[in-house]
Amino acid sequence: MYTPNESDRDPYRNVWVVAEHRDGAIQGVTFELLGAARRLADVRCGEVWCALLGDEVAGLAPDCFQRGADVVLAVERPDLAKFVDDLHAEALAALIEKYRPEIVLSGATARGRALIPRVAVKTCSGLTADCTGLQIDPDTGVLLQTRPAFGGNILATIQSVRHRPQMATVRPRVMGEPQPEPGRTGRLIVEPLAPPNAASPMRVLEEVTARRNTVALTNADFIIAGGRGVRGPRGFDLLHRFASLVGGAVAATRAAVDAGWVDYAFQIGQTGQTVQPQVYMACGVSGQIQHLVGMQSSDLIIAVNRDRNAPIMQLADYAVVGDLFEVLPAMVAALRRL
Amino acid sequence: MPAGIENGVFHVELLSPKQSADDLEADLARFAERYRRILDAGHAVCIPDNPMGTLAFHATELIRELALPAGNGRISAHINTFHTRKNLDEILAMAIDLGIDNLLTISGDGSPRLPRLSGGDLGENVHSVTAVELLKHVRRACPGRFSIGVAFNPYEPQDDELEKMRMKVDAGADFITTQPVLGEHPAVEALHEFGLPIVLGCWMSKRLYLLSECVGYEIPQDAVYDGLENLRALTGRYPGCGFYLTMLGFKTQFPQLGEVWPRDEEGEA
Amino acid sequence: MRIVVCVKQVPASSQVTIDPETKRLKREGVAAEMNPFDLYALEEALLLREKLGGRVMALSMGPKQAEATLRECLSMGADEAVLLTDRAFAGSDTWATSYALARAVEALGDTDLVLCGKQAIDGDTAQVGPGLAAHLGWPQVTYVSDVRQTEATHLVVERMNEEGFDVVEVRLPAVLTVVKDINTPRVPTLRACRAARRATVTTLTAQQVNADPANLGLGGSPTRVVKVGPPPARRRKTLVLDGPSESSAERLVHELRMHSIV
Repeated sequence: MYTPNESDRDPYRNVWVVAEHRDGAIQGVTFELLGAARRLADVRCGEVWCALLGDEVAGLAPDCFQRGADVVLAVERPDLAKFVDDLHAEALAALIEKYRPEIVLSGATARGRALIPRVAVKTCSGLTADCTGLQIDPDTGVLLQTRPAFGGNILATIQSVRHRPQMATVRPRVMGEPQPEPGRTGRLIVEPLAPPNAASPMRVLEEVTARRNTVALTNADFIIAGGRGVRGPRGFDLLHRFASLVGGAVAATRAAVDAGWVDYAFQIGQTGQTVQPQVYMACGVSGQIQHLVGMQSSDLIIAVNRDRNAPIMQLADYAVVGDLFEVLPAMVAALRRL
Repeated sequence: MPAGIENGVFHVELLSPKQSADDLEADLARFAERYRRILDAGHAVCIPDNPMGTLAFHATELIRELALPAGNGRISAHINTFHTRKNLDEILAMAIDLGIDNLLTISGDGSPRLPRLSGGDLGENVHSVTAVELLKHVRRACPGRFSIGVAFNPYEPQDDELEKMRMKVDAGADFITTQPVLGEHPAVEALHEFGLPIVLGCWMSKRLYLLSECVGYEIPQDAVYDGLENLRALTGRYPGCGFYLTMLGFKTQFPQLGEVWPRDEEGEA
Repeated sequence: MRIVVCVKQVPASSQVTIDPETKRLKREGVAAEMNPFDLYALEEALLLREKLGGRVMALSMGPKQAEATLRECLSMGADEAVLLTDRAFAGSDTWATSYALARAVEALGDTDLVLCGKQAIDGDTAQVGPGLAAHLGWPQVTYVSDVRQTEATHLVVERMNEEGFDVVEVRLPAVLTVVKDINTPRVPTLRACRAARRATVTTLTAQQVNADPANLGLGGSPTRVVKVGPPPARRRKTLVLDGPSESSAERLVHELRMHSIV
C-alpha cells in the first residue's frame, strides 16, 4: 500500500475542482465534484481547491467552502464574464502552472468538455473524459479513471503515470452531492492574473436560454415511448404532456411512425435511433426485437401494456399490466401531489 | 405488367450494391448481369430502395449509369419516404426519362444516415409522411404515368394493416404486394376485397431467420425450408396472383423457375 | 475559403464487445464506418464552399483501411483526401492524436477553417477538436449547431449548451466542432461513388508533417489504458404490477423519484 511521505512527495499536490457557475450560482456538478475531490484528497493527504473564473465571483466562495473546498482560487476579470474558450483556458493553464495541482476535476458539461481538453494540451496533461469512477491506486498513488467507451459496450480504466496534473471530467449526477456544512470556511485566494495582450479572436455576442419543447432523445435521462397501443396522434399528446412534466423526451416505435401518428425523428429501434437513458418508459409497446435493440441498455425500463405476455414485459424492471390511458393520468396526478 | 398478372412472369427482387461495397465495380457488374438475365428469361425486375436503411443506390441511378434496358414494362422501382424532396423529384424525373412503368411506394426503412420527407415537403398536414402521402404525391406529380403498388405486411396485426391498406387504396394504389407468405395466409383472402391485382411475396432462401429480421416478427423454423416448394404451393393455392421473389438463388433456383409456374401459351392471366 | 475536415473511421460501436476469455476488445468482423458526427462536419464544409467558394480537404489519421472513409468524403464532394498514416502513431491518445493532426493541418498550409465532428463514437471523448485548436493556437467553438453568418475573415455561429445556445463571433482561422442539429448530410450519387473509388488519396507520414516523435504514439500519450472490461452486468428482475392503476402509478412515481428524474 503506497503511503506518501515528505521525501516522496510529488511537487504536484492537491485536488482541484474547476467550478462552473451561472447567473450567480454554482452548478450542482461542481458540488458533486467537491465531494469526489474530498475523497481523493484525503487519500493523497492533500487539500481540495476550487478554481473559480469569472467576473466578480469571489462571493461564490462560501458555497464552495461549505461543500468541502479548503481553498477557493478566484480570478476576477471582466473578460472572463462570458465563456470564451481561449481566455478561460489560458487563465486556468496559468493557475495550474503556478500552483501545480496533482489532480484537476471538472464537470463534463458543454463548457467543461470544451475547456478542459484545451487546457490539457497546454499543460501537457493526461485527460480522461466522462469518468464514471475515480479511485486512487493503493499501490502507486496514481488516479485510476474509469469510463465507458464504444457507446457503453466497454468500460475502460485509464491513468496518467507521469504527466501532471491528472485531469478528468465527470458528468453531472454521476457522483453524489455532499451535504453542505454551514459555517465551514476556508482560504480565499484572489489571484491577480492579467489578461493576455492581444484581444481574443472570439467573442460571445448573445447568450440565449431556449426552453426546448423536445429534449434531444440521445441526451434525455427520461424517455417515454409510445407504440401501437397509443392508438393515434391524440395518444401521443398525452405522452408529450407527461414528458414536459418531468423534463424528458418522447419516443415511438416503428409501428407508430408507419401509422403516421408521429414523426420518424422519434423512432427508436433498429431502423431508428439507439438510446440509453436512465429511465425508459414504454407505453403500449409490444417489444418486438427491432425495437428492443434500440433501448435495452436503459438503466431502468418500465413497461405499461394491457397484455401481460407482451415481449417487453419480460425485459422490463417494472411491468405494469394496465391501460396506459389510466396509468399515465394517475401518474400525472401523483406527480402533481409531490 | 400488374394491370393484369401474367402467368409465369415472376417479380424478381434484385438488390442494388451497397455504397459501402468493398469492390463496387464487381458488385455493379454482377447486378447488371443478373438484371439482364431476369429480363431475358421474361421475368420482371424489382429493385428495393435502401432496404434496412443501409445506403445502397436507387434503381433509377443504376439503370441510367449502367445503361440497362428499362422501357419494357417489366421494371419496378421501390421508392420510400427517406429522401429529400429534391431527390424524390430527381428520381421521378429519371424514372420517366428511362421509361420505367412501375413504382412501389412504401414508408421504408430509415436510418440516422438518411434524410426524410416531411409533410411540408409534400404539401400535406401530417405528423409523419407514410406510403399514403408518397403515393398521392406521385399521382399528382406524374398523373397516369406509373402503375403504383403498395405493400402489405401479413405479420403485423391484421386489423391495423387492413386499415392502412384501405387508406392506400383510397389514395389510388394500382396493385398490392405482400411481404413473404409461407404456405398460405388468411390475409390474402381479405386483400381480394380491395379488387386490385395482388403480388404475393415468396421467400426463397432456406435461412428463414433472415425473414424474421425483414418483417419484424419471429418466424419459427421447425424443419428445413425450401423456397421453391413454397413457391409451388403458393402458385397452386393462389391462382390469379403474381409472385414476388425475395432472396432468389441465381445459381440453383433461377433456372428452375420456368417449371414452377409455367407460362400460358397465350401469355395471359 | 480553404477548409480541412477531420474525419475518423470508427468501428460500428454497437457491435464492439469484450472477449470474455481474453478480456480484450473484439475487433474482428466489426464493420467500419465514418464517425457519424464527422459526416455533419463534412456536409457543413461543403455548404460553406457552396456559399463562399474555395476548397474542402478531408483529413484522417489512421491505418490504411481509413482510406475507405476518405473516399466516402470524396464521393460526397470533398476536393481532396489526405490520409495521415504512420506506425509511429499507433497507441496515440487524444493529446498525441490532436498534436499529429495539428502538424498535418500546418503542413497542408493556408487553411482558414478546420471542422470536426463533436466526438468520435468509439472513444466518445470529444477531446480531439479542442486539443487540435490548442496545438494550432487557434480559437475554437464547440457544439456548433448553426452557422449564421459567413465572411472571409470571420464566422458568426450558434454554440449549443445545456440551457440553450450562445451566439459567437470567431475570427478565422479557427476550429469548429459540430453537432447533428447543424445540417442534413447529403447522400452521394452512384457516379460520385465510382469516381471516388478511382481517385487518389494522398498519404502523409509523421516525418512529412514535421511531427516530433516524442509527441507521438504510446510514448507521446500522457494517458494509458490500464484495462478494458465489459460494463457491469445488468441483472433485471421483473416486478409485475397488475393492481389498480392508481397504485401502480404511485409505485412508478416513487421509482422516478429514486432515480432523481422527479
